[in-house]
Amino acid sequence: MKARLKVYCSISNLPQIRDFMRSNLREMEVVGKVSEQIVLAIDEACANAIIHQHSCDGCSCIELALYRDNEQVFIELKDTGKAFPIDTFEPKSTEERIKCHQRGGMGVFLIKSIMDNIQIEQKKDYYIFRFMKNI
Amino acid sequence: MTIVETQHATYTSLRPIGELDANSSIYMDEKIGTMIPDGKVNIHIDCSDLTYISSAGLGVFISYLDDIQKLEGKIAFSNMRESVRDVFDLLGLTTLVPIISTQEEAANLFNK
Repeated sequence: MKARLKVYCSISNLPQIRDFMRSNLREMEVVGKVSEQIVLAIDEACANAIIHQHSCDGCSCIELALYRDNEQVFIELKDTGKAFPIDTFEPKSTEERIKCHQRGGMGVFLIKSIMDNIQIEQKKDYYIFRFMKNI
Repeated sequence: MTIVETQHATYTSLRPIGELDANSSIYMDEKIGTMIPDGKVNIHIDCSDLTYISSAGLGVFISYLDDIQKLEGKIAFSNMRESVRDVFDLLGLTTLVPIISTQEEAANLFNK
């Protein structure tokens, strides 16, 4: 069964997203370092959607679904509009970011470092990021 | 997010309490942004009460690192819980910024 959460696009809702992830991962017996890494990756993905896709427009929503299948955890992030090409984006190194005082891009780097598979399903009016983590 | 500031002889300690994410990182940004013009460029971040950090939180420190180094200052971190340390490791930051263990180490580092 999938655990589901729908939240308005405000960054003040990020703690609610992390609580949802932590509590459901715990119920699925996914704990410790791997759980914290999944929480971080999904926090980053949601923050990107809220800030960059929706400009923190508190009237629009994103949706999360989470489930476990044997030794894999799957997370789906459904959002309106056009998906950021997270799978092909090449972030700068941390050294380069320090030199040019750049804050952005690290979230995508973290997501790609943590998740074992990322797929994007683009529909006409919405897209779904499908993240998979081996546990 | 509460940030407790303690002034030492050669450096300033900041102890963030709670989670440093895209929502709360503005408070750390404002704090460091006001310290640098005041010449407070030796900064110790005491992470003992930091329960979570995302890229937005780390981005604050990264964005000031070059300025601090140009002003011959330093920024060092201590007392990180494992999950916070893991984010530093994932981003390769543990090799780029000093991670210290004790107050004595902080005093030694900022006295150099």
